[in-house]
Amino acid sequence: MNASPVLLDVRDLKVHLRVGPVLVKAIDGVDFQVRHGECVGIVGESGSGKSTMARAVTRLMPNVAIGELSGRLTFDGRDILGMPDAELRRLRRGRGFSMIFQDPLGYLNPTQRIGRQIGEALARDAGAGADQARIRTLLDEVGLPDPANIARRYPHELSGGQRQRVMIAIALASDPQLLFADEPTTALDATVQLQVLQTLYRLHRERNMAMAIITHDLGVVAELCDRVYVMRAGKVVESAETVTLFENPAHDYSRRLIELSTRRHTRGAGA
Amino acid sequence: MTEPILRLHGVEQIYTSRNAAGSGWSTVRAVDGVDLDVREGETLAVVGESGSGKSTLAKLLLMLNRPTAGEVRFRGRPLAALGPADRQAYRRQVQAVFQDPASSLNPRMTVARMLGFIVRRHDLAPPAEVRAFLARQLAAVGLDPPESYLDRYPHQLSGGQQQRIAIARAMMLRPAIIIADEPLSSLDVSVQAQVLDLMRDLHQATNVGFVIISHDLGAMEAIADRTAVMYRGRIVEIGGAIYARPCHPYTRLLLEARLSLDPRRGRIRAMSAAARPEAVAAAAGGCRFRGRCAYAVDICARAEPALRTVGTDGTLAACHRAEEVGAEPIAI
Repeated sequence: MNASPVLLDVRDLKVHLRVGPVLVKAIDGVDFQVRHGECVGIVGESGSGKSTMARAVTRLMPNVAIGELSGRLTFDGRDILGMPDAELRRLRRGRGFSMIFQDPLGYLNPTQRIGRQIGEALARDAGAGADQARIRTLLDEVGLPDPANIARRYPHELSGGQRQRVMIAIALASDPQLLFADEPTTALDATVQLQVLQTLYRLHRERNMAMAIITHDLGVVAELCDRVYVMRAGKVVESAETVTLFENPAHDYSRRLIELSTRRHTRGAGA
Repeated sequence: MTEPILRLHGVEQIYTSRNAAGSGWSTVRAVDGVDLDVREGETLAVVGESGSGKSTLAKLLLMLNRPTAGEVRFRGRPLAALGPADRQAYRRQVQAVFQDPASSLNPRMTVARMLGFIVRRHDLAPPAEVRAFLARQLAAVGLDPPESYLDRYPHQLSGGQQQRIAIARAMMLRPAIIIADEPLSSLDVSVQAQVLDLMRDLHQATNVGFVIISHDLGAMEAIADRTAVMYRGRIVEIGGAIYARPCHPYTRLLLEARLSLDPRRGRIRAMSAAARPEAVAAAAGGCRFRGRCAYAVDICARAEPALRTVGTDGTLAACHRAEEVGAEPIAI
């Protein structure tokens, strides 16, 4: 379907974590690709390793916990695993990858105004005036009304949906080629979830920005993703085009997940 | 019809707190005039978004909160008038299951010790037979072999097993009804299905009723006999057919916000950029939903609609245009 070149290429990734005396094989030999401009889903239940994978790939793992980290990990042809921190920072600041999380309140600074927090993520070349304009443009782009007003507010003054939009604005500030979204709408009410997903999809199309969405909700995958990886116990058990996965799942576990979800969303399958 | 087991009449719960500046008081009308009958042995779902007052309603039913106004009756008797003995009987008859089983189980006690307290307190089994009694209770919630769970601590159990223990604890006293506040939302979808099946089995075996507070309409459609939809402290619709024929615009909005599981019909991909605006603050007077409502007309700003019968299937809806709303097919 999507024949663009591969942007993120992960081969035989292993992440083993030290939990006390035990070594947990959180990721145990995973292959994973995202092409330019593609939207990929990573779906699995809790403990499947989907969040660990996103953190390992974006190098957001705390080193102390890692027992083993191996594999080949390239972004835009550059090796990420061995990349020095300074170069990694440049990659995060400009045209690289960004990440948003389930719980925006946990990642926003409660003591700083929204505008300043977005400003921190901007590349440091333009002057302060240009920054203000860019901050307002970003807030407008993620669908927040009255950006000048929002920029002056603190996180606690915003609703959950507004905070998640602010997180997306921060992630977009570096103009990333790839956005990782870890359960981006799990904490939101259904009507707000739909709005935030619409916004993500619009940004994905308008910016031709690749997305990797980590979720436990097959509905998010069906609505948004071109391709999907099904994870279980640190391994990818199936990867397929989204339509193929839903209509003709190859693995028993995928079939079971789809069946269970369909039983609840009775309307999604029938009417 | 027999008398409802629980009856709420004009119930209000107002929370008061210091405002942000610390200079005055602000009030939240969490539950704002609710009339509701819970029938013997039925499974009633209460759905709504966060802040709709559904958890406060659960606390009122559990007698954890005293209503600011109005009355809760248990088998015809006002809760406020129950004496100590009746109150204890009420506590046996109306049990609770909470969202996060890990935090509702004591982390420093084994399952046997934790549940043993209840057996002794209520004299459910002679001391020599407590373990055998508990094993039977765990078997009844599908923990197999039950003896192997008795000496475990909560952290040695999975989320689904913890929730089964919480349900076993509630079921031990042979309650008439269990009030469950988001019992599924911390569980994986495969475990959710098992817990729903368990609730269904328990209902069939003992005719225990459930009031399930949830934001998950998909799961509630699968289990509930009737569903009440709450919005800003009020029930705006209640009935057994609201998933097929929603008569309130808010119910319709919630149902249409569900994601499709058919990638060929995914609406987000198909949708133009225009998204529905976020919630507009409710102006005083009139219908509290009108700021978000696609059906709002002049009368909605003037008169707050009361719950009334719509159609012939027993649905009640609080909307001036409920008949028109119910006649439209659901877009999904």
